[in-house]
Amino acid sequence: MGAYIARRLLQAIPTVFGVALLTFLLFNAFGPDPVRTALGNHATPEAMANLRHQWGLDQSLAMQFLEFLRQIVTFDYGKSFVTGDDLGTQLKAGALVSLSVTVPPFVFGAIVNVSIALFITRHRDGVVDKAARALFIAAMSVSALVYVLGLQYLLAFKLDWFPINGYEGGWAAVKYLGLPWLIQLLLLMGPDIRLYRTLFLADINADYVRTARSKGAGEGRVLFRHVLPNAWIPIITQNVTTIPFLILGSFLMERFFSIPGIGNLTIDALSRGDLPILKAVTVLGALALLLFNLINDLLYAFADPRVRLS
Amino acid sequence: MAQEPSVLTVPRIDEFETMDPPGAFDEKSEQVQRQVYGTLLTYAYLERPYKLVPDLAEAMPTLSADKLTYTFHLRKGVRFHDNPCFPGGKGREMTADDVLYSLKRYADANINRHSWFAMAGAVAGLDAYHAATLKSGPSVDMTAADVAGLRRIDASTLSITLTRPNPLFLFSLALTSTAVVPIEAVRLYKDRFGINPVGTGPFMLKGPADRKATLHFVRNPNYYGVYPSVGAPGDAEAGLLKNAGRKLPLVDALDMPLVQEPQTAALKFLKGDLDLRPLDRANFIKMVARKPDGTFRLADEYAAKFALYGAPALDTYYMRLNMKDALIGRNPALRRALASVVDAQAIIDVLNNGRGRRLESLVPYELPGNERETGAVNIPHDVAAGKRLLAEAGYPGGKGLPPIAISFVGADSATHNLADLLRAQFASIGVQVRPEFMDLPAHTKAMEGGNFQVSYNFWYADYPDPEDFYQLFYSKNTAPGPNIGAYANAAYDQAYEAMRLMPNGPERVARIKTMNAILKQDVPVIVLYDSVRYGLAQKWVGGFKRNVFLQEHMFMSVDMAAKKKGP
Repeated sequence: MGAYIARRLLQAIPTVFGVALLTFLLFNAFGPDPVRTALGNHATPEAMANLRHQWGLDQSLAMQFLEFLRQIVTFDYGKSFVTGDDLGTQLKAGALVSLSVTVPPFVFGAIVNVSIALFITRHRDGVVDKAARALFIAAMSVSALVYVLGLQYLLAFKLDWFPINGYEGGWAAVKYLGLPWLIQLLLLMGPDIRLYRTLFLADINADYVRTARSKGAGEGRVLFRHVLPNAWIPIITQNVTTIPFLILGSFLMERFFSIPGIGNLTIDALSRGDLPILKAVTVLGALALLLFNLINDLLYAFADPRVRLS
Repeated sequence: MAQEPSVLTVPRIDEFETMDPPGAFDEKSEQVQRQVYGTLLTYAYLERPYKLVPDLAEAMPTLSADKLTYTFHLRKGVRFHDNPCFPGGKGREMTADDVLYSLKRYADANINRHSWFAMAGAVAGLDAYHAATLKSGPSVDMTAADVAGLRRIDASTLSITLTRPNPLFLFSLALTSTAVVPIEAVRLYKDRFGINPVGTGPFMLKGPADRKATLHFVRNPNYYGVYPSVGAPGDAEAGLLKNAGRKLPLVDALDMPLVQEPQTAALKFLKGDLDLRPLDRANFIKMVARKPDGTFRLADEYAAKFALYGAPALDTYYMRLNMKDALIGRNPALRRALASVVDAQAIIDVLNNGRGRRLESLVPYELPGNERETGAVNIPHDVAAGKRLLAEAGYPGGKGLPPIAISFVGADSATHNLADLLRAQFASIGVQVRPEFMDLPAHTKAMEGGNFQVSYNFWYADYPDPEDFYQLFYSKNTAPGPNIGAYANAAYDQAYEAMRLMPNGPERVARIKTMNAILKQDVPVIVLYDSVRYGLAQKWVGGFKRNVFLQEHMFMSVDMAAKKKGP
């Protein structure tokens, strides 16, 4: 296992290098000039040269890329071009907030959605199954924005069950996060339950299930002891590969509910052309994706004894 | 029983960059900086046309006989906010040294990246100081250096000597970027001064500012300002003078939550969580009705609960034609043909729901030198003439003319609608259009590189003077300056250079007329309209009148009993 992890980590190095190079070229070589954006229409050539020097943009592209690689290795992404704030502090704070927005519905949603999918599978092709399928297809056809706008209007404005927007640190955050959690739960239900149901149904008529039935196993035992363990691998894949996106936050939720997470930080950076933030978020997103892909593969070994890591 | 503190709640629609005055020059930063800081001069709250009045200065400055030196007597007894940066945490009295220190910080190229243009070349010795800061870098404090034009006379008197007579100079002393800051706070907070502001303004910030959270301000008990007793015609009838002479600010506290989405702001306002909010297009259409005379009123269902306000934004929208472009720049008849078919009124009516005023010259009506006294820059809207001019240009019916590229900032549906409308207007004489939708950085880059044919732009008045708009065509202001179309005309430059240094009056009007005539002849621009911005205020808010050069919050009152009941 140790050798496998070491090999995978070594394999990740060229990938990270590639991501870094692409990100760098996209923003530093081909993107708009951040100095010009920052200084606006009244910029003088002297002021532009001064700022270019302060931001290290007067160095050769090779030197700038080396500096970017140093930032990636040391996790020191410097300061925001716009506010001058330290990015390490900003990203750490933003990631924690984003996780508080996305993790609870993700965990709770996984448990609830697997349970509902099992229940529907148990009653496959019956009224419950057909009604659920119709409901989830209809629910998935509606844009996420409609859920946000509609539920913010109904539950926060009309019924006063939640604050319309806002955020506070610590436990007080729960008051503000209730509605974003609920909306994310609803958004996850349709696609997740349909996926899990399909996974379960793929196995429900397999030989080993028929054998279990012929030996007198009840439907509950068939589902929980035989079908569910065999469906773990795709369920794990579905969930673990989602985790990097949880850290990056939910752009919609953070924007509409004024939650200061990474999603909001990224949108603001995009609109202001704040390159250090955009570069940091892009690379950190790629690193997180690589890391959780590795964790995903490691979990396979636990979920399925036939998988050997070598 | 103690009276409940009155709290005004006004949303911020975006994060501010910094609360260090010279560090930013944008609406969002100014919105928060103005609460905390004062400037030597400011604008009268109610009077129109916009007029400079003293703020930290006791009176308007006196000017020497050679028209070069302004002498300012400072208001006595003005104290900085109580803050740990001062001994014992007690704010000390502001002096002439603080003003001079703040002006040097304003001229420091490492701190001020945005608004130096407003004072560049104006004050004796200050440009050399600015250049020296460029060389020294951000880590060196140069403020002890002597600047010939900045003189301390005594603790409450100072003089500023100009390089040449310049009536526009005083406007720069009303910019928030030149606000007075204490050296103790800059030294204590260093690079966190931008979120720990200490000023002399009407409100004090509670705790360091969190850009993403609600900012809480409380009344500065030592604030010197009083509500004005002079207003514009109609202000007394509108109840805007009933607080005349009262000590400012009128409320005990000001809360400024960050609410970036219009839908979220709309719901919070309807619920009574916000006291004021700008109206976005969707809510404007829903909540506002147009009266037969073209003005607007709130729809009946909202009129009882809320008040509608509207004010010209003092921006001018226009289409800039690139004089360096091989096709557009070398064919005056083609430019005239294009200018003759653009119908700005259609843009206002169809796309902006009437929220704008058609302009024929660059200057909004609230400013001196507008078209009512100086005439038009535009050639008349005339499709038949456009067809004739296009034939004169060598492209009868548009035959042989490649599609004209128009650059827009943004790619949302509103921008696409605008492009479609212009496409239809140009098509009326056979000209095809190729819209190019860009984000702001890409658009800026294209403008700077001269890589455009026609660009859809706007320009805000930095100060209430026509010069701010005419600088856009001065040949020495080409990119990276604001003359993005690289327009150059020696006669225009001569008239501009003279007009820039003149006080308002018939001679200045004559120069502006000359410039208008030159622009009309050369057609480097098609002027469109200026926008009128609307918003809503709760009925429990008093004393509110939109002033685009100020933040109005200290003049506003809140009836807390009504606010508690809700809308």
